Amino acid sequence: MLELKNLHAEVEGEGIEILKGVNLKVNKGEIHAIMGPNGSGKSTLAKVIAGHPEYEVTGGDIIYKGESILEMDPDERAHAGVFLAFQYPVEVPGVTNTTLLRESYNTIAASRGREELDPLEFDDYIREKLDLVEMNPDFLERSVNTGFSGGEKKRNEIFQMAVLQPTLSLLDETDSGLDIDALRIVSEGINKLHGEEDAVVLITHYQRLLNYIVPDYVHVMLGGRIVKSGGKELAFELEEKGYDWLESLAKVNGEAK
Amino acid sequence: MANLTKAEPSILHNLAKHAPEGNSVSWSEIRGKNLKALNQTAFPHKKIEEWRFTDLKPVERTAFVPLNEAGTLPAADIEKYFIPESDRSRLVFINGSFQENYSSIGGLGKGVTVGNLNGFTNNSTVAEYFDKLVNYEDDVFTQFNGLMFEDGAFIHLEKGAKAEAPIQILNLYTDSAKPFVATPRMLVVAEEKSDVTIIEDHIGLSQNTYLTVPVCEVKVKKGAHIHHVRIQRDSINALHISRPIAYVEKNSEYHSYTITLGAKLSRNEPRVVQEDEEVDFTLDGLVLIDGEQIADTHSVMDHRFSHANSHQLHKVVVNGSAHSIFNGKIFVRRDAQKIDSFQENRNLLLSIDGLVNTKPQLEIFADDVLCSHGATIGQLDPEEVFYLQSRGMTEEKAKEVLTYAFALETIENVKVDSVHKLLIEEVYRYTKANTESKVTA
Repeated sequence: MLELKNLHAEVEGEGIEILKGVNLKVNKGEIHAIMGPNGSGKSTLAKVIAGHPEYEVTGGDIIYKGESILEMDPDERAHAGVFLAFQYPVEVPGVTNTTLLRESYNTIAASRGREELDPLEFDDYIREKLDLVEMNPDFLERSVNTGFSGGEKKRNEIFQMAVLQPTLSLLDETDSGLDIDALRIVSEGINKLHGEEDAVVLITHYQRLLNYIVPDYVHVMLGGRIVKSGGKELAFELEEKGYDWLESLAKVNGEAK
Repeated sequence: MANLTKAEPSILHNLAKHAPEGNSVSWSEIRGKNLKALNQTAFPHKKIEEWRFTDLKPVERTAFVPLNEAGTLPAADIEKYFIPESDRSRLVFINGSFQENYSSIGGLGKGVTVGNLNGFTNNSTVAEYFDKLVNYEDDVFTQFNGLMFEDGAFIHLEKGAKAEAPIQILNLYTDSAKPFVATPRMLVVAEEKSDVTIIEDHIGLSQNTYLTVPVCEVKVKKGAHIHHVRIQRDSINALHISRPIAYVEKNSEYHSYTITLGAKLSRNEPRVVQEDEEVDFTLDGLVLIDGEQIADTHSVMDHRFSHANSHQLHKVVVNGSAHSIFNGKIFVRRDAQKIDSFQENRNLLLSIDGLVNTKPQLEIFADDVLCSHGATIGQLDPEEVFYLQSRGMTEEKAKEVLTYAFALETIENVKVDSVHKLLIEEVYRYTKANTESKVTA
């Protein structure tokens, strides 16, 4: 599904390298969790995979479904089934959720050979998906994320994921800002959406999300690289010990890399 | 003509000799007063602070002729500009001249008078207010209008009268052999507790060069409400210099929304003057310009008494080499306490060659007031563009959607359905046009 090969990336034009050689392999049907302290490059990694123009890939490759997607625009990646749930979902006043989703759904459907839905069919379709994240139908006619609480925005991201049916979902700190009930709802939604044919990459600070969504693999990111990988038990270890004990792994020849 | 000329004669001064005769004693007086003032007032230039960013050479250097020498062509197919809600409450002016055959004024209900000003020379309301409310300092344009006007819209609501339909004031400008000057005029007097919605539309029917100088006087008496939508869709070669001024009395409301789409050069100077406590007024604006257009808004919100709510959201989208100027003056006089005034000028710059000058100007002499103001100039937020792209929209589509959404906010409050739709279409047309001409944000 996804393979990152020695991926290096920096902020466009600033020459500050943030990803310093990331290697990662995600197969379909799997859930991977990427953990790490602030500033370790987790969110950057998600944005780079989704094609954020702010970052420039300076080395390595991103292989998705067997092909390099480095040259693809973010919309082309979305068409190919990549989905990024934003850490800070953007408010788009003046564009309703329904308008955005119908537009997205139909362009993605067209490029993936699925049938486009007319407004009525689409309406039926998204109402089913609303239940999945226990969202009020009023949200459909509200401007995208405008005036939403932090938790509502996060829920809206998972709602969008439900509607767009991606094959690779990158969920960037979807758990932050959620109270315990919302966390449960969102997690259950993600679990229902995930199946044998798709993969999920969770980016999180905290182990608590992983009580609800059980990952097949846990990776620790430090200093722009994945320094340790393991099973779900690694998350518990991190919760207990923090990241300090792994600091030495982020250094090469005694220098921070 | 009086020989008091202090001013270097400009094209407007030169056209003054073509002023119409007054058809009543009072109108002769008005023309006389304005002629005298015009002859003592110099044509503005860039060394004057108020005109620093706006060069009036296109006005000065055009050989405008009086309307009857311009060789104007007839207007065709104008019904498409009629709004359905105003089917029986519409005044039509072509190049400033009243068109009785296209107008329709039966549908307003009791206590509402609407018609051509020229037919109300002896009306006591007209006598009391006409040309008395204009208050623009040393302004050749209001003087010129006061000298040259012939027809105009007169709207009067008696005490407690509620207009049953919005009133459309449709100003059309036709093609002509030579460039001409039009001087549309409006007087609106809403007596106590009356209520009216006015849609003032200026439309260029060709790519013609003309200068229009609309002057609009509005008096909102105690407890009266006026909703005033002004749409400027002049020809792309037109020059539009407008002076709308409103006076608001106790417990009254005046809400004005100006949408600027057309003209090569436009200068809009809306003013609201508070005359008593407990008032609520709005001076919102939306400017969508492209190519070589220049759109200048110089507004004044004059808070003279306590307890006022005022709102000014001025949104601008600039593309091509267009140039937007905004100067929003907010005065809060001494003793005008408990004022809640909001002003924001947001500019979206879509191109490298576009230019924005903005100057919020607050002069506050009272101490217990809440005045928020802000001005921003920015491009589309790359994070927003990326967000929409990550949902499958192309970059162009994302930019189009975001520009559309940016512009939409200012027209949300326009409460006449067909006009709201029409404005949405205009915004859509503008954003579409931009995607086609390759946005560089």
